[in-house]
Amino acid sequence: MYKETKSSKAVKWFLIGVSVLFVVLMLLLPLITVITEAFKQGFAVYEKAVTDNYTVKAFWLTLEATALAVVINTVFGLSAAWSLTKFHFRGKKILTTLIDLPVTVSPIIAGLIFLLTFGRQSPIFPLLQDWDVKIVFAVPGIVLATIFVTFPFISRELIPVLEARGNDEEEAAALMGAKGFTIFRKITFPHIKWAFLYGVVLCAARAMGEFGAVSVISGHLRGKTNTLPLHVEILFNEFQYVPAFAVASILVLLAIFILIARSLIEYNGKKKNKVEP
Amino acid sequence: MYVELKNINKHFGNFKASDNVSFGIEKGKLIGLLGPSGSGKTTILRMIAGLETPDNGDIIIDGKVINNVPASKRGIGFVFQSYALFRYMTVFENIAFGLRVLKKSDSEIKDRVAELVKLIGLDGLENRYPSQLSGGQRQRVAFARALAPNPQLLLLDEPFAAIDAKVRQELRHWLKEMIAKLGVTSIFVTHDQDEAIEVADEIIIMNKGRIDQIGKPLDVYSTPKTAFVASFFGQPSIFKDYSKFRRFDAVEGAEQTIVRPEFVKVTKKTEVQKFKNSAEEGVVTDVAFRGSGIELSVLVNGVTLTARRGFDEPSVSVGEKVDVFIYRIFVTAGDNAYLLENKSLREPVVVI
Repeated sequence: MYKETKSSKAVKWFLIGVSVLFVVLMLLLPLITVITEAFKQGFAVYEKAVTDNYTVKAFWLTLEATALAVVINTVFGLSAAWSLTKFHFRGKKILTTLIDLPVTVSPIIAGLIFLLTFGRQSPIFPLLQDWDVKIVFAVPGIVLATIFVTFPFISRELIPVLEARGNDEEEAAALMGAKGFTIFRKITFPHIKWAFLYGVVLCAARAMGEFGAVSVISGHLRGKTNTLPLHVEILFNEFQYVPAFAVASILVLLAIFILIARSLIEYNGKKKNKVEP
Repeated sequence: MYVELKNINKHFGNFKASDNVSFGIEKGKLIGLLGPSGSGKTTILRMIAGLETPDNGDIIIDGKVINNVPASKRGIGFVFQSYALFRYMTVFENIAFGLRVLKKSDSEIKDRVAELVKLIGLDGLENRYPSQLSGGQRQRVAFARALAPNPQLLLLDEPFAAIDAKVRQELRHWLKEMIAKLGVTSIFVTHDQDEAIEVADEIIIMNKGRIDQIGKPLDVYSTPKTAFVASFFGQPSIFKDYSKFRRFDAVEGAEQTIVRPEFVKVTKKTEVQKFKNSAEEGVVTDVAFRGSGIELSVLVNGVTLTARRGFDEPSVSVGEKVDVFIYRIFVTAGDNAYLLENKSLREPVVVI
């Protein structure tokens, strides 16, 4: 084992100290503030804010957008990761780069893109109106924006895992007559399972907290196109501090729930990997 | 012929992996596909398996052209170089996989897997995962998995490449025995000449996408037909001009001379040598212990030759002047190889 000298001990405690200080200042303190502010005027006020009709509606809308984003990005992420690692084709590099675009551009730009594509100035707007499809300032727009910003999370987790391993096992299975879906279910999926679940967790976490893109495209219609993060902002702007913090605490709880899910998944993945690397 | 390839060509971009390859294999034979890396042997194997498609030419198995039969329907067992065992399945499930695809009943699967596990000598390890097995054990599992659905043809891609020397020796014998016992027609790819000679019933030698020679190990070794085959086997000393060595016939357009260690007899000046008169004088430049004997490098007529001596013979030392007698040489001209015998061997010898 590495033997600690006096100076290396000092470095060790200094680095630990910096990390702890950072976590306390930047994470723990705000978290405590949110909770204490939320309960400042007692549990009754908190309960009233949380069970408020608009809050409940915002909560369900957030969950709806998150669920749809996760489902659609799962399909997209699996196909993208699969095609990028198993096939050779023209424009592969460009596709790989484009997948990363949503995390590199500001979410506001994402919102504006959808506003311009589906809004009144857009050439396809009359078409949408004919079909009676509302996207901008409506739920579909919010879902689209959420999908856009969480686009790369699942595929980004899968690509390195699939790349690290060749096609041998799949070829072996195919030679024995196994069909594509059987091969995926029995050979490929067990291998990418943990990375995949981790990608889903990240995608869900990001989808719930999405503010920028959704803010541009939602129109802030209370009870209709308001998600939890937008609702917090509206309450805050109306100087309703306690309700704002109360609603924010819901998001905090969701985040903590997701963190626990993530740790459990990681723990299980590691435990399993010890037996079957 | 059970397996037949007719005029197979295959390109990868500009690279010609198979150049008009034709050969036939009898049922029940164990064939070694031998060649240096990049000679196109694995491509041939993958085309027979259906993992690659030839540009043109026919692949025939059991009398039927199978070019358009998908890999999964060819009924071929394939052992990958990396084994490609399913790492998230136990030994049992790995071997059972092909049977499950064929929708065999559970009891049938159980019996067949038990039989194969016994055959490969891994009883009791059915519930292990591949990562918990040694290299040799994994190879055996890969072998059993390929055999489980009773294939008529077994293909093995460099089956011993990933195993350490000691175990490799054991596995070669084991595999040869197994295949003989089961009677399944098999083709294995290797770049190791010793392995091919030791294991195969017949050797197909490939070079630059073409087939150079097909034959029994002994024939291929002792009567190479092409320049490449002559230089590929043994531990040859290769030089240009053999005219300085007396008592060999001249060959028109001779380009290279190939001398294998077993063609050379080195004797001390004090030793009795039947062909002393026709021996050349050489100087020992290196003496190396090789486990099974002593390997010498001898400088004769400006050429360094490799030769061997046994432990029971008097030892020679570096710098010593010795008699060197060459029984035979291979001479290549263009693509052909000729075996030349020392003329002294044919002359009556008078021992005084």
